[in-house]
Amino acid sequence: MEGNRPNYSVLGKSVPRVDTPLKVTGQAKYAADYEMGGMLWGKIKRAPYAHARILNIDTSKAERLPGVKGVITGKDFGGFKWGWQAHTRDESPLAVKKLRYMYEGVAAVAATDEDIAEEACDLIDVDYEELPAVFDPFEAMKEGAPLVHEDRPRNILVEYHWNFGDVDKAFDESHLVREDLFQTPRMAKGYIEPPAVVAWWEHDTLHYIGAKGSPYMLWRIMGRAFDLPLNKVRIITPFVGCDFGGTKNDGHALDFAAILLAKKTGRPVKIVYTQWEELTTCLRRHAMWVRVKMGLSKDGMIKGLYTNVVADGGAYARMSPVTMYLTNGQCTVPYKIDNFRTDTWNVYTNNPIAAAMRGHGMYHTRYAIDCQLDLMAKELGIDPVEIRHKNSIDNPKPGEIFYTVNKLRVATCGIKECIEQSAKLFGWKEYQKRERTDGPIVRGAGIAASAFLSGARLTGHNSCSAIVRINEDGSVNLQTGATDVGMGSDTAMCAIAAETLGVEMKDVEIKRVDTAYSYPDPGSYGSRVTIYAGEATMKAAEDAKRQLLDAAAKEMNVFPEELEIKNKRVFTKTDETRGLPWLDVVRAACYASIGNVIVGRGVSRKGTKGFSAKAFSTGEGDVGTNYGFAAQINEVEVDTETGVVKCTEKSAMADDCGFPLNPAIVETQGIGGSYHQGIAAALYEEFVMENGSTLNPNFVDYKRPRAYEAPFPKFAHVITNDPFGPFGVKEASEATSCTGAPAVVSAIYDATGVMIKDMPATPEKVWRALREKKKAEKSK
Amino acid sequence: MKDFNYFAPKTVKEAVSLLEELKGDGKIICGGQSLLILMKQNMLTIENLVDIKGISELDYIKYSDKEGLRIGALATHSAIEKSPVIKKNCPVLAEMEDNLAVVQTRNYGTIGGNVCHGDPAADPPSVFIVLDATYRLVGPAGERMVNPEDFYKDYLEVDLAPDELLCEIRVPKLPANTGVAHEKLMAQKGDMGIVGAAASVTVNPSTGACENVRIALTNVASTPFRARSSEKFLIGKIIDEKLMEEAGMIASQEIDPPADVHGSQEYRRDMARVFLKRVTARALKKATQKK
Amino acid sequence: MKETLRDLRFTLNGKQVELKVKPKTLLLKLLREELKLKGTRTGCEVSACGACTVNLDGKAVRACSILAVQVDGHEVVTIEGVADGDKLHPIQEAMVKHGAIECGFCTSGMVMSSRALLLENPRATREDIKKAIQGNLCADSGYVKYVEAIEMAAKVMQGK
Repeated sequence: MEGNRPNYSVLGKSVPRVDTPLKVTGQAKYAADYEMGGMLWGKIKRAPYAHARILNIDTSKAERLPGVKGVITGKDFGGFKWGWQAHTRDESPLAVKKLRYMYEGVAAVAATDEDIAEEACDLIDVDYEELPAVFDPFEAMKEGAPLVHEDRPRNILVEYHWNFGDVDKAFDESHLVREDLFQTPRMAKGYIEPPAVVAWWEHDTLHYIGAKGSPYMLWRIMGRAFDLPLNKVRIITPFVGCDFGGTKNDGHALDFAAILLAKKTGRPVKIVYTQWEELTTCLRRHAMWVRVKMGLSKDGMIKGLYTNVVADGGAYARMSPVTMYLTNGQCTVPYKIDNFRTDTWNVYTNNPIAAAMRGHGMYHTRYAIDCQLDLMAKELGIDPVEIRHKNSIDNPKPGEIFYTVNKLRVATCGIKECIEQSAKLFGWKEYQKRERTDGPIVRGAGIAASAFLSGARLTGHNSCSAIVRINEDGSVNLQTGATDVGMGSDTAMCAIAAETLGVEMKDVEIKRVDTAYSYPDPGSYGSRVTIYAGEATMKAAEDAKRQLLDAAAKEMNVFPEELEIKNKRVFTKTDETRGLPWLDVVRAACYASIGNVIVGRGVSRKGTKGFSAKAFSTGEGDVGTNYGFAAQINEVEVDTETGVVKCTEKSAMADDCGFPLNPAIVETQGIGGSYHQGIAAALYEEFVMENGSTLNPNFVDYKRPRAYEAPFPKFAHVITNDPFGPFGVKEASEATSCTGAPAVVSAIYDATGVMIKDMPATPEKVWRALREKKKAEKSK
Repeated sequence: MKDFNYFAPKTVKEAVSLLEELKGDGKIICGGQSLLILMKQNMLTIENLVDIKGISELDYIKYSDKEGLRIGALATHSAIEKSPVIKKNCPVLAEMEDNLAVVQTRNYGTIGGNVCHGDPAADPPSVFIVLDATYRLVGPAGERMVNPEDFYKDYLEVDLAPDELLCEIRVPKLPANTGVAHEKLMAQKGDMGIVGAAASVTVNPSTGACENVRIALTNVASTPFRARSSEKFLIGKIIDEKLMEEAGMIASQEIDPPADVHGSQEYRRDMARVFLKRVTARALKKATQKK
Repeated sequence: MKETLRDLRFTLNGKQVELKVKPKTLLLKLLREELKLKGTRTGCEVSACGACTVNLDGKAVRACSILAVQVDGHEVVTIEGVADGDKLHPIQEAMVKHGAIECGFCTSGMVMSSRALLLENPRATREDIKKAIQGNLCADSGYVKYVEAIEMAAKVMQGK
């Protein structure tokens, strides 16, 4: 099927999203909007040190404050520790004997209102013994550096050393070899909705409503933390205001504290983080030092690539092992690289924890590699678009597979077309002929290309399930475990169900995830939702369809295989005039005999083939199902006197997501969020740290992208119909998350001759770089 | 936020006598767009909050050739931004407001509140300095006219007694052949200027020489900085690019700017030079374009 | 005396509201916690994100940056008061149709900022619209589709 494009009724069309009417009227409920009778407000007490032993906690004064109903400390969790993998369980819900990052939680209070809870926190007396701390990963790796975790020598959480092909030989044979060091800063996730939770216990079941994109993770973690069988852990997801792979993907102090306080007090407990808490204590993008060495032939073909990456993982492990895999193991897409080697480390420091974020891992090396490619292209006199195009992986012919040197399986690859489309939309050829001005305002353009894996399969449980229920009145209920954190998966799933069943979007209703009633999907990360939930939904719909067609066949006196459903009508394939309306068939099915229940179930299976569990540690083998690709071109305007950089309106982007189930949603993501996140990363965003303390933990001093500076890029869909994704689908908007920053940095390079190797390109940084360039030129 | 005693006087008279009664322990709030942020984060503890947002007699924008421009302290930034009176008689204020924060701030925040907050990064004080404006304060003893330049004492510290109220800002009619401009270093529209500058240039129409120039910089010191040495350097000369560059250098060497996450001292120093130059050039252009 | 509640009388979404509040109560808290109107969102504490934008006498203001007592005698409209029963406001209609909304957390603020803009300036240009939502942060949908949707709504409202 994947070769042709069938005539879809719903899929591939920009149908309106199912949840937006609720959102646009303010009716959509997010975690902080929930209230329960008798609810208490919780607050976390936080330590004012980056590294300290907790000698004693005296909660007596807090407990006596009128309105306080419960106080807990780290000890109350019974030594529970958690982490993404069994051997990385290094984190306690609240610090117990030692705290490892500034403002880590040490205690929590539940009270009748927020103000009292806050006051009570101030009344908790903690005796600390401050410990020497370490904030730089290179310092942390030195012998004798303070240890963040006693059982991790040299503060190294994970290191990989992979070797594919023969990089040294490749460099020897290269015409041009270059080594550069690039640096990416710590970044906030940037969502506006702070983490929030309401927890309560009822009928000895734990109930939890929280802003989480991966309810499965909490389901498993809380089951273990509170010693409950999974059937007594009820995780309910409300509407979620974005995730991007951070704290809303995983647990944090507020989740555990709310649950334990609810248990202790016997009342529901609500905790809503302030944006300050989010920006100081919650998960952020890693800061990485990315050393790349690349060898090119005279005509610009990449012969070999070496990456040496050191990452600051912060105080706890979380997902850093995966991060380092993605950062390096995925370097072999989108360009053909036959020789690849990497040495990489993730290091513990006493900084706040780093974890996944949009464009996870690949983001860092994409910046370095694409920017270095431009430096080398300049030396060789090759056009930046041309050099990327010629190095790109070709789109395999249907039925063929391309394997990278480290065995990533690429069945479809639209990168060449993405580059071509972006260049065409931008007018790249004509742009190169322009007359350059002397300044002070100069302009330039840059391109970046990227891939990103979709349908990630981490170890453990990776499958998704769905249930499609057809009610007696013809309406359809769809339940999957997949969580829509804003990316539109609910709409996509309804579209898949509607398409498969031959009904309209409005006939299908999807509800939020509730683990009491649906098996939770592992989560909204690794761009896996459409791939897995899509397949599960398709199968569940097909299962329900089969049951319906069985009943219809009896009514019409034909074999079920002879029937099809389209536009709410069941008809024979050979004679379309012979058929029955949808509702008639549903009634026949539901009222047959003493009555029938039409429930279709589906479980995703496709993703398991070819998965290599060892890939994370060897760098070899696939952890994704397929790969999305994107290219982006931006023009910038640089004020060479002040260093201020602005993106102009002239910009273009092309995205290969296999098959856009809903083109409008793909476009919004492409030209909207991910686009601006990329630009903002290049120009504005970085956490400024001093001895473990975040100096700019608010959206005034930590700049986020805003409307006035937003360019309106031209956009093109590139359709490749991948065989491994349901309906040919691949990820959308992760590859585009990786193209923004390097495109803008390259544009600055084109405009000024200055390559910013440590993002963001703040006005002062650009100003300084321009001065140094001038100085260097004068001294020649 | 902690609880406080709340008062909402409806007239200037009421407000002043209330402030007097509170014997220095009353804090004025108006639009609250600066103050509330501090209060919300518990950076300020207030015993008695005197809310003057209801004193409608202070909400006006008037102009007459004789008295010049008179802006009531409660005029919102938006009102100033959109006022036809301002556009006609003192457009630089509308220009400044267009870049001042975002619309939500401008709709509720007042010019009086901004002016009295004493943030050295704020735009209005520098513009009022170069416009040779006067602040009209009213206290129990009566009214007091203060020069904006003298009004700012230190970071968030202004020459306003606890029982005084800023009632009005007076801007004299612009002299002939004068151009006024405001500009600031922003990465995003509406940012506080990493550095900011305002200039008023008066040109002799026959000689083309600069008869008078007033320049003020923001965010380069703990109060607005009056670039007197640069002014002195330019007065009497026919201003060209080279001279403006030099005037910028003079100021940049005089100042001792702060360093923070938005800019180092070195950077601010150079930006002071750049913005002094740019804003003077624009003011000059406006002055020579006038008929 | 600090504990004294003040009388507050104002028009909220077209209806008269009368209650007593502590002076320190922010309008945002009043709306969400006391009046149970959750559509106005809490995003940050430093008046930077605009998620809490409401209309005060037809102008866009942040509910987190006003004391509730300050709206005494004034007119407040929140997101809940924008649609006409089941009929969406043209701005809401356009945002839904044009695919501007993703996670939806900033949407209330976007609607309120643009509503105020078009009330005052029905012929708002793209530049005007960008300025009007400069105070509204969006993390996942970005701004392009919101601006285009508001442009579409303006045309509809002008009868084009």
